[in-house]
Amino acid sequence: MSNPFPLEKNKLLEAYSRMKTIREFEERLHVDFGRGDIPGFVHLYAGEEASGVGIMMHLEDHDRIASTHRGHGHCIAKGVDVKKMMAEIYGKSTGSCAGKGGSMHIADLSKGMMGANGILGAGAPLICGAALAAQKLGHDGVGVTFFGDGASNQGTVLESMNLAAIWNLPVLFIVENNGYAEATSVDYAVASDSFVDRAAGFGMPGITVDGTDFFAVYEAAGEIIKRAREGAGPTLMECKMVRFFGHFEGDAQTYRAPNENEDNRANRDCLKIFRAKVIEAGVLSEAELNTIDDEVMALIEDAVEEAKAAPLPLAEELTNDVYVSY
Amino acid sequence: MKEKQQVLKVGIIANPVSARDIRRIISHAGNLPINDRANIVLRILTGLYLTGVEEVLVMPEVGGIRAQLLRTIERETKMGKFRFPKVTYLNMPVTGKAEDSIEAARQMHDQGVGAIVVLGGDGTSRVVVSACGNTPIAGVSTGTNNAFPELREPTVTGLAVGLAVTGQVPNEYAYSFNKRIEVLVNDKREIALVDVAVVAERYIGARAIWKTENFRDLFVTFGRPDGIGMSSIVGLLAPLDRETAEGRRVKLVPLGEAKVILDAPIAPGLIESVGIGAVETLKPNQHYLPSVSVGSFALDGERELTFSEIDDVSIRLQTDAFRTINVPDCMAYAAKFRLLTSKANNRLAQLSKKGRTS
Amino acid sequence: MARTLSMKDAVNEAIDQEMGRDPTVIMMGEDIVGGAGADGEDDAWGGVLGVTKGLFAKYPNQMIDTPLSESAYIGSAIGAATCGLRPIAELMFVDFLGVCLDQVFNQAAKFRYMFGGKAETPVVIRAMCGAGFRAAAQHSQMLTPIVTHIPGLKVVCPSNAYDTKGLMIQAIRDNDPVIFLEHKNLYASECDVPEEPYAIPFGEANIAREGKDVTIVTYGLMVQKSLEAADMLKKDDIDVEVIDLRTLSPIDMDTVIESVEETGRLVCVDEANPRCSIATDVSACVARDAFKALKSPIEMVTPPHTPVPFSPSLEDLYIPSADRIADAVRKTMEA
Repeated sequence: MSNPFPLEKNKLLEAYSRMKTIREFEERLHVDFGRGDIPGFVHLYAGEEASGVGIMMHLEDHDRIASTHRGHGHCIAKGVDVKKMMAEIYGKSTGSCAGKGGSMHIADLSKGMMGANGILGAGAPLICGAALAAQKLGHDGVGVTFFGDGASNQGTVLESMNLAAIWNLPVLFIVENNGYAEATSVDYAVASDSFVDRAAGFGMPGITVDGTDFFAVYEAAGEIIKRAREGAGPTLMECKMVRFFGHFEGDAQTYRAPNENEDNRANRDCLKIFRAKVIEAGVLSEAELNTIDDEVMALIEDAVEEAKAAPLPLAEELTNDVYVSY
Repeated sequence: MKEKQQVLKVGIIANPVSARDIRRIISHAGNLPINDRANIVLRILTGLYLTGVEEVLVMPEVGGIRAQLLRTIERETKMGKFRFPKVTYLNMPVTGKAEDSIEAARQMHDQGVGAIVVLGGDGTSRVVVSACGNTPIAGVSTGTNNAFPELREPTVTGLAVGLAVTGQVPNEYAYSFNKRIEVLVNDKREIALVDVAVVAERYIGARAIWKTENFRDLFVTFGRPDGIGMSSIVGLLAPLDRETAEGRRVKLVPLGEAKVILDAPIAPGLIESVGIGAVETLKPNQHYLPSVSVGSFALDGERELTFSEIDDVSIRLQTDAFRTINVPDCMAYAAKFRLLTSKANNRLAQLSKKGRTS
Repeated sequence: MARTLSMKDAVNEAIDQEMGRDPTVIMMGEDIVGGAGADGEDDAWGGVLGVTKGLFAKYPNQMIDTPLSESAYIGSAIGAATCGLRPIAELMFVDFLGVCLDQVFNQAAKFRYMFGGKAETPVVIRAMCGAGFRAAAQHSQMLTPIVTHIPGLKVVCPSNAYDTKGLMIQAIRDNDPVIFLEHKNLYASECDVPEEPYAIPFGEANIAREGKDVTIVTYGLMVQKSLEAADMLKKDDIDVEVIDLRTLSPIDMDTVIESVEETGRLVCVDEANPRCSIATDVSACVARDAFKALKSPIEMVTPPHTPVPFSPSLEDLYIPSADRIADAVRKTMEA
């Protein structure tokens, strides 16, 4: 049977591999954090993989993304080194940010990843800046700002939507709507109840996609990214999805309905949905996908071991790199 | 007033997920803000109330229409304005997808509503018809492709639906029978109310369809020359109305191979050139095949089914397949027989009674 | 070649010369051009006080008016700075810092450190500061202590046109985020300013007046007031040294300590409010590092712990005057 998908087989494998890497990275952190191995806070992206990967498959290194506190998935999808990320989360000097940033501030500017951000909504203006730079420097890079249903209420996000619309910036505003802002439901917090309506209010088009379906995200994202590169300006895309874990690790999640997590894992797992589609279409086999599963597990295992064995930063690192020169 | 079967319940399905898809980007399709949708529902409710409908069953959703609706009803009730029937939300899980429309339609049919009012475009209307059995529907246009539901003031739709389900307008005026197309791929069955497009790609993706270079066939139940959507291709070549017991099929070819090219408004703000092959008439209940052996079916604008050489595929036109409320005829009957007039004393007594119950 | 230039024109000239040299230097702010979308003239304002007038005509692609959205456009300038541009963003009044403070102190200031040394954020945020215009509480503050406090930011506050041009050029060429504060009451002040571009390094104070009896450490408008006080005190045979800090972060404490070790007396004059200010900062450092040299307690001359009042008589009481400075100097001489 021929391949009905708009991605070649090797790209399908890549998409699966990226999503699986995110999933296993987060699942492993969940376990290790529970054991007390990891300092500080982590916010896990498990369950949301199709959104990040569906979009990032269209981006190059000169495209910029800004992420949220829940940034591991965006980093991995954008190509940030997994082992360096793990080392960073462990606070080691071999980490992506030399141990100075931690989970909430992982960045890799060489990959166009402008940082996970502990301040929600703060990425939106920064990405407008990246898009402005792309326009002024004359390349076709786009900026993608990810934020959640909660952060969508921040003034910075709303202001940025207006700014991107009036300056026709190549910005994608991606609302990762997983239904909860910490413990508050989107039903309570979002007055207009529709992100697409908000976009319309700012004079930009908006669409909603099923964020648990990689192919739906991939196709829609491809169209709006193509248009942004061609000068069509900003767009908002709401990805409706679920997150498998709490807001942060340690969140008892008592705000959820009974069996909600089990139901999500059974019926809204984007990896299961992807697997089912590619196998049913006869393009990838269980065996091929399982091979990737094994490779990913091995990578995560190595990443954790190397992170645990890596050195902590030296004392002089404390005062390094506050400025370029002082 | 004639005392026919007094069915005093009506269903309303307003799914916030309609008019939210990629066609906002491809064309200039609007997205009809949630606020406006809630107001449309309120307008329908005023029409239903006036004509004596006592209860309205509504599909639950978390897109904001419910919040707005209940807020307004509560406020106006407190202010003593009684203009709405009792609103009851169905007990069902909310997935936030088109599936909710299907479940709601099923439940409304099971609970014996006299009609279901559907806010949406062709896509939403389609899924409701597929699940509501013989319950008649009334379409209110709020989606992208609005070939099926008519553009009409919802207040009046509410009046007409109310007059129909309460039996004040006889059935022969109140309801129209409509055609539909049934598509079978092995044991999977789907219907379309207006058009079935065969696309040469076997990929569902983001569902909504727009890349005309891949279209190979178009089957329609009707196509008006002044219509919008894929059916306008038929409307501008060989128009067909909703009543005539036949359909149309257009074979489409890539632009480079076509002898004739038609420019048609296939979506709001999107006028595309399509290469025309043959045009033929469809007879009811005959089985037709797509002109490609591998591809997918887009039903009323959205890709739903894929097929390949090994699948059993069939396309069939059905006539008198489902009923809609005939709003113009209902209102004409109401005018002719002065249905909305009453003796002044009676009416004033009624109105002041309502005032006292505040 | 020098000629007389006002501080306002010095800002303009510095930006003009740098934009001409480097097309990645762009500027954005509210009405820095003026007239956007309107039917009248382009460059209708050139900044609310005309500081940037004429730049749009020369560099139309490098001057961008913004809507009233500090978080969005200051944040954009910061984001663009990490992506290859060298933006100058104008915050019309430093008092508006609160509106976009997160972008400044949690984003721009921290990128380099949080990202392990791999980010560069060459952004200049220039803003008007200071009292004396009867602009009242929300348009007259200094806020220098707030930005000086944040690691990762550099803070500049010149006292004259010559320093302004040199420090602005340095700020634009600097690869760290710089907060450049221009005292609105100094815009009209003039002095000799070379025509060619030149850069004054950060972290180098200027001894505006040499003296052997008392050291005044100050910055901004207060330099002028301190020099006035110094002239008054000459008649009493008190010889005052006035040190103009020029940059508050990095700060040139070496020059200050050296001077105090000579004079043994210190008066810190600061237009910012007195709690946790530049005055308290310098005083504490001197008390720690030059304690033995001190002949008398350190004096500070600051406004009171109040917002800036509107009524001219009150505002004039608020702003430290040359008289109050002279009294403080005399106090250090008496003890």
